[in-house]
Amino acid sequence: MTLFFQILGMCLFLLVFLVLYRVVFGPGIFNRAAAVSALGNKTLIILLVIGFLYHRVEMFVDISIVYALLNFIGTLAVAKYLEMEQRKL
Amino acid sequence: MMTALKKDIIVRTIARLFVPFIQIYALYVIMHGHHSPGGGFQGGVILAACMALLMISHGVEETRKRISEKTMALFSSGGVFIYVGIGVLCLMMGGYFLDYHMLGSLLNVPPAEARSLGILGVEIGVAIAVMAVMYSIFYTIATAGNDMSGDEHNIHDDDGA
Repeated sequence: MTLFFQILGMCLFLLVFLVLYRVVFGPGIFNRAAAVSALGNKTLIILLVIGFLYHRVEMFVDISIVYALLNFIGTLAVAKYLEMEQRKL
Repeated sequence: MMTALKKDIIVRTIARLFVPFIQIYALYVIMHGHHSPGGGFQGGVILAACMALLMISHGVEETRKRISEKTMALFSSGGVFIYVGIGVLCLMMGGYFLDYHMLGSLLNVPPAEARSLGILGVEIGVAIAVMAVMYSIFYTIATAGNDMSGDEHNIHDDDGA
């Protein structure tokens, strides 16, 4: 089971860079906003995998819930800001 | 502005459903500060995050009607008052500042439990103060410093100048 989680964590770690490419070079602001949200989700899963590897899932679940919450609010704030900017232009 | 706010029904509904759960989770983080990650500061930040969510989804005006700046100023100093009050209470009971086991005779519990209760009280104070200050920071940034809750006199003064 440990090997499974190690491989899973490494795959997710590599996938983070694909999403990061979209964040940095992605055409347009909407691709970037969506990619940042996806990046947050990947980070959340990686945190849980680390929790399984260290046998402290109950501790890492708390952290990842907060992370998911802040990711949600952050994405919402970016969307709101874009809406306001669009109205101004 | 009002018609635009009425349109995003999904965001408003999700926020309205989420806010109580976020607050319950924040209380859990505050209460279980000693044996899981978190504590007063983190719980306070989560409480402030739910208010930020309310402000993003329902607009600044709607939130200001429910949570005024004056209340938040009171809460921020009240949290500090709880923190320092517990510390000074320990001082008055004959111990050092924040020396919780002196509260044992006052609460009628053994010193070890008095320590646990003392740190819990301090964390609740920290959480209230952090929540209020974080909300104030977010409110000031969201309104870009143009606080409309002041009296009319101030606003007219700004217009004249």
